[in-house]
Parts: sequence; structure tokens; C-alpha cells
Amino acid sequence: MQDPYKVLGVSSNASDEEVKKAYRELAKKYHPDNYVDNPLADLAQEKMKEINEAYDTITRSRKNGSQTGSGSTGGYSSGYSSGWSGGGSAYQQAGGAYAQIRSAINAGNLQYAEQLLDASPTRDAEWNFLMGSLYYRKGWLDDARSFFQRAVSMDPSNGEYRQALNMLGGAGSPYRQTGYGPPAQQGGCDMCDMCTAMMCANMMCGGCR
Amino acid sequence: MFGYVRPLAPELKVKEFERFRACYCGLCHELGREYGAAGRSILNYDFVFLSMLLWGGRDSCDYCQRRCLPGFFRKKCVCASAPALTVAAGYSVILAYWKAVDNRDDSRGGRRLLAAAVRLLLKRPYRKAAARYPAFDRSVWERLDALHRLEAESCASLDRAADQFARLLASASGAAGEESRRALEQLLYHVGRIVYIADAFADLREDRRAGRYNPVAVRYGLASAEADERTKAGVRETLLSSVDLAAAALALLPKSYWTPVTENIVLLGLPDMIDRVLAGTYVTAGKRLPKRPQLSQNGE
Repeated sequence: MQDPYKVLGVSSNASDEEVKKAYRELAKKYHPDNYVDNPLADLAQEKMKEINEAYDTITRSRKNGSQTGSGSTGGYSSGYSSGWSGGGSAYQQAGGAYAQIRSAINAGNLQYAEQLLDASPTRDAEWNFLMGSLYYRKGWLDDARSFFQRAVSMDPSNGEYRQALNMLGGAGSPYRQTGYGPPAQQGGCDMCDMCTAMMCANMMCGGCR
Repeated sequence: MFGYVRPLAPELKVKEFERFRACYCGLCHELGREYGAAGRSILNYDFVFLSMLLWGGRDSCDYCQRRCLPGFFRKKCVCASAPALTVAAGYSVILAYWKAVDNRDDSRGGRRLLAAAVRLLLKRPYRKAAARYPAFDRSVWERLDALHRLEAESCASLDRAADQFARLLASASGAAGEESRRALEQLLYHVGRIVYIADAFADLREDRRAGRYNPVAVRYGLASAEADERTKAGVRETLLSSVDLAAAALALLPKSYWTPVTENIVLLGLPDMIDRVLAGTYVTAGKRLPKRPQLSQNGE
């Protein structure tokens, strides 16, 4: 097994707090929520397992060792590993041909899923959603978006479809940060704002004197 | 189509920027040594990114002192030859050659002559590189050919057109080790997709003037050379979704000497490039800013 400290990216004499912080950051990065429907979900899951094991090993060895005084470690080890059931529970409920298509998409068998979808006689909301999922897996995000939008407009009450569309809009993405300064449409703090704020603050300091 | 994948330099630490520069110079020297002056002339940022990704899990880089033409009298610190640099140099020669062939067939007049001249100059370097990396050569040729056919039939799906170029770039992951190949393939796929679509957007005006196919114009049914707000929002959204997936793939690659730089490129450089391309203020080699930049609505 790999050195658990190396897995978490901390030195072996790091404090409990530092270990916990490093663990939390990594767990956030590789959390299954970030890899929903992602073709690399299995790799992320493996990584997550590695991190959990490393953290468990460190906390256990520290509890048994000399540092028994700090009782606040642990408690995170099981939280992240249990939440992921691999594919979402709604997938099991659908019946018939769609269930077959869902499992083909989940298994990464995209060609087969595409054949089934092409052969499907109906073009209802779920069909559009599944087409969207298929294209998402392929990385064809523009087409995926169109299909998800159609699915949502045909069945606005369905939470699963809306969630898929939101995912493409970057909702909850840990990586989505605006570049260097916010884009023009979103308000925010640019250099001028900061400058003005500084000037105001300076004036107020003068007033207090 | 080159020069879209760069770091956001102000956000790099000074030592990281120095490393990046040394890698850039290293690739330039590698191209010069292996493929001569003609090879050196095709140096671009995108393949510096590729060489950093192909570095593998190695946590170091050897440096050496070299001279080069700009600033001949002072030696520079550059990355010494490494397997990743050799591969990236070969791949960039292959892609540049086929791109020149493509340009020659696509354009008319002076541009056609220029492209034909570039193709002739690159012929010998290309033969050497293609003999070394036949698999990549075949994949580039096949993908560009398929792309050509899609362009000829005015493909209405933005994704279908971008898919060919994305797969072309993804095939460069073949040079990576077994443990990182899948993640690298996914990362390069989305970087290729971003580059293709951003380039199409940047070319809107020029393609319109030349009467050429442009995937963004067809997808959004643009009636003029200027993109409207709906088009901009759509392109921005789909490109940022690709950045998300590229970043998720990058996180799964083993940490290497270059990780701080590659993370900067994907998480900050690409979104910044996208913003600038959409605002019409992005400058790549060979493309100039429009004479009077269009002001956006906020007057920025």
C-alpha cells in the first residue's frame, strides 16, 4: 500500500488539523457528485477510496500512538464513501426498453444505447433525456443541452431532467470560477469598485479623527 | 487553430512562470534539433501544454543553458531534452503539415501560395516525424479528412464537427502511460473541442467574407458576421461545460512537476481565453485585433 501521508499530500509530522484539512480538500475534489455521468467516474471512485483509506490509516495509527490526546480526529472517514451507490436510484425504477438503455449508458456501451434509442418508436420526454445523457457521455455538450432542454419542456415537473440541465449550466461545479476578473454581465468587484471603496474608507477615517 | 491554450500568466507564481518559459524554449530547441529551422517555426503554446501533460508522474525536470537567436549573447535556462518534448515536437510537425495541406486546398490566391510554401518547407520534417509516429499521423489524416467531408456538407451540429478535431487531439494521449491514458484522453478531447469551437467563433467574420462554412454560424443560424447575445451565451455555456469536464479529468492525472502550470492553464487560462474570444479581444499568432474594437454594452 502507498504511504498514506503521500496520498493526502502532507508530511508525516503534519498536525491533526492539517491532515484533516488536506483530507477534506481532496474529498471535495473527488466527490462522486463531481463525476455524475462522467465517463471517468470509476477512476474518481477509486481515488476517493484511496483517500478514505489513507485518512483512516493515519487517524487509527495516531490514536493508538502517542497522540491519543486529540480526540477530534475521525468522523469523516465513512461519510463520503457511503453516499455513492453508482448510477442513481431512479435508474432502477424505469421499466422496459428505457431501463435497458439506461444501463447501457451507465456501462459506457454507447453504441448499443444509440442503436436502441434510434429504434425506439416514441419520442417522449424520457427519450429526449436519455439522448441527452448519451451525448453528455460522448462529450457532445451542445447537443446534450438541446435534448435536456426538450425533455424539461415536455415534462417540467421531473426533477431528474432539470438536474441534468442544471449540471450542464455549471451548477455546483467545483471548477467553475470566473477567469481573471468577473465577466461583464455578472456584477462584482473590479479594480474601480475597490478603488472607490478605498477612497470612501479613507474619507471615513479622516472624519473620525 | 493554434495558440488558444495558454496559462493565465499573472496568476502563476514567478517560479512557475519561469518553468513554463523554460519548457517553451525546450520545445523550441527540440524542434530545431530534430526538424531544423522549418520545424522550429511551428512552435506553439498548445504543444507546450501537451509536453507538460506527457511528462508522466516524474517530479523533476533537467535544465541546461542554451543560446538562441532573439537575445543571442545571453544564454537562457531551458528544459533539457526529455521524452515528452520529443513526442510533442514530432506530433506538432505532423499536425502543422496536415494543417498546411488543408489550408492550401481551402483558400485561394496569396494564402494558397503561402500554405503551399509552408507545406513544401515542412515536407522533410514531416516525413521524419510520420515515420516515427505512424499511428498519430494516420489519426490526424483520418480526422481532418472526416472534418473536411462534414464541412463540405455544411454540418448543422456544432458537436459533430468539433468531435473530429477533439478526437484528433485525444489521439495524442496514446503516448502516455497506461495509468493516465484514459483521463488524458478525456482531457485532450475537451481541450480539442474548446479550441475548435473557439476558433470557429473567432473566424466568424473571415469565414463570412470568404463564403466558407462556419459551424457556429450554421448552428445558431446567424444572418450576419456579428454574433448576437444569444449565440455568445450559448457558445460560452457549452465551452465552460467542456472546461468543467477537462478539469475533472485533469484532477485524475498523477501529480507531476508541471501540475501547478497545467492546472492554471485549464482552470484559469481556458476560461479567460473563452471570455476574450467572445468579446473579440483575443489575439493569437497570425490574427490581429479588428481595427476598431467593438465596445460591449457596458462600455468596457
